[in-house]
Amino acid sequence: MSRTDAPPQLERVLAMIPWLATHRGVAKSEVAGRFRISAAQLESDLGLIMMVGVPPYSPGDYINVSYDDDTVDLWLAPYFTRPLQLNAAEGLALLAGGRALLAVDGSDPDGPLGTAIHKLEDALGVSEVVVEFATPPLLAEVRAAAVAGERIAVEYWSGGRDELTRRTIDPGPPFFALGEWYTDAFCSLRGEPRMFRVDRIRSVAPTGETFAPVVRAPAASVYQPRANDPRVTLELPSHASWVGESAPCESVEDLPDGRQRVVLAVSERAWLERILLQAGPEATVVDPPDWRNLAQVAAARARARYPTPAPGAS
Amino acid sequence: MAEEITGEPDQQVATYVPDRRERLLNLLAALIETRAGMTREDLVNNPTLGYPAGDAAARRAFERDKATLRAMGVPLQDTMIDNETRYRVDPKEYYLPDLELTNDELAALHVAVTAIGLGSTAGEGALMKLGGIEGAGSMPIAELPFVDVLAPLFDASRRRCAVRFSYRGRERELEPWGLTSKFGNWYVVGLERGVGDMRVFRADRIEGDISPGKPKSFTVPRDFRADSYLEDRPWDYGEGRATNITIRVDAGFGVGLMQAIGPAATTTPEADGSTLVQFAAIEIGAVVNFALGFLDHVEIVSPPEARHAIIAALDAWAS
Repeated sequence: MSRTDAPPQLERVLAMIPWLATHRGVAKSEVAGRFRISAAQLESDLGLIMMVGVPPYSPGDYINVSYDDDTVDLWLAPYFTRPLQLNAAEGLALLAGGRALLAVDGSDPDGPLGTAIHKLEDALGVSEVVVEFATPPLLAEVRAAAVAGERIAVEYWSGGRDELTRRTIDPGPPFFALGEWYTDAFCSLRGEPRMFRVDRIRSVAPTGETFAPVVRAPAASVYQPRANDPRVTLELPSHASWVGESAPCESVEDLPDGRQRVVLAVSERAWLERILLQAGPEATVVDPPDWRNLAQVAAARARARYPTPAPGAS
Repeated sequence: MAEEITGEPDQQVATYVPDRRERLLNLLAALIETRAGMTREDLVNNPTLGYPAGDAAARRAFERDKATLRAMGVPLQDTMIDNETRYRVDPKEYYLPDLELTNDELAALHVAVTAIGLGSTAGEGALMKLGGIEGAGSMPIAELPFVDVLAPLFDASRRRCAVRFSYRGRERELEPWGLTSKFGNWYVVGLERGVGDMRVFRADRIEGDISPGKPKSFTVPRDFRADSYLEDRPWDYGEGRATNITIRVDAGFGVGLMQAIGPAATTTPEADGSTLVQFAAIEIGAVVNFALGFLDHVEIVSPPEARHAIIAALDAWAS
């Protein structure tokens, strides 16, 4: 529940006692289910509850428990009549989780989740923990296709290679991680599952074909550099420290002069070109040597769109 | 620690040595029950609590129990009365008020806690306190991992404590009015003391721990919303008047670009498949940086100062 050296059983038992007291004669299987414990753990918990009393233990000071093979009945001493207050991490987890789910397209703000959050916000006396996700234009289409098991034809912009491709995919349920929506989809072009960024899907069209929707947990990590992706070492000026914070760097080292040396796994060149152009010419590729002029070439390509000479240039 | 209980509880209380779980529960019950408070002597010498023999050992065990209870969130008070520290737990502070959550509401909270990965089990701990886990939950649909300072910031916000922390190498004092998460990052929003203005800080960039001040040291306006202080687009920041920007974007890149610029932009399709996009910006540098991210697929058409700025940024690479 929290980072303490308290035996986990203790916090559970403190939560369980008041619930049992308001649910007299309840089935043991229900208790075990609600508190996510085995039958053996429940026996151990009940054994512990029986030992609770206020020194010096007059009869009215014990918590009374009786149980048989199937049910448990508990009635109270005058303490532990309510659970312990939520700690900060617990209160925040409920509000953040609840507000985040409400921010997902299709949630009902007036449903039970919305009313539960209002009660919690009032009880905790906090302002709304506002959660906002990016909403790519085709998120709802991808989600609907994933739920219905509809194979879709998509145009996909590959950020790394900087090109648009067409393919059919069997989308998995979209999920949000590292600031973007992804779908883990079977891709006809590659003939294998691939992770797609939903915001890079430029169009969705039905194919009329279906697939069995897969109920699967999303991959543990969205970005997994392939073992053979080239590693690139950059040196960045201090104003480009956002690279180390937002790109998946394998290492970030602060140099004595305030610059940073970062190592990135780069599967696609255009991605690195964008980072370098935004970081500015003080950013340099240290390794590999044949990418040292990557940004100059990319800048020249972009510069070709502006046929007039720069102001002040002869 | 925590030897397992087997079989029936021992009825001979006087000779039974309770384990630490029982000691903590009974200690907590005694502290909730007492009105006048109890001294350490009272507690460690009570044989039924089962503190170890010997002053030093009993004192160590008691100090450890105190720390454990406090870390669990138990509001353990210590008051000096007649040169003695008396301990008690005020039931009003200890007990969670009845939130009167229905089973539907508990089930909905369970769905939320399982759908949104926060990188902690605190949500499930909270559900236990609210009456156990109801319903089947959900498969994960989003990850918004907490950073360590969030729970202390939330606690400070709830108790209205100003907090001090270091950010970008400078000490700040902030009234934390609220927390918000946008596009995967967590922010704290509030009034920065000394500056006297509303500020937004990215939580994962706060350096080191935060230190909270006294409770009830500020008020939060009822209509405050943390998200209203976060700008969607970097070129909306800054001071001065907005300028109308026109850019040309190649075929195939318009959707991604329009997503970033937002609905306020107007678009004109061109015969060659490209699109002219017009929008207002205060900070020209941010527009240039944005356009550079599109490599050679975007051209800044006007105004001249924005066009010159991107030409200069590109020419800086040619040396």
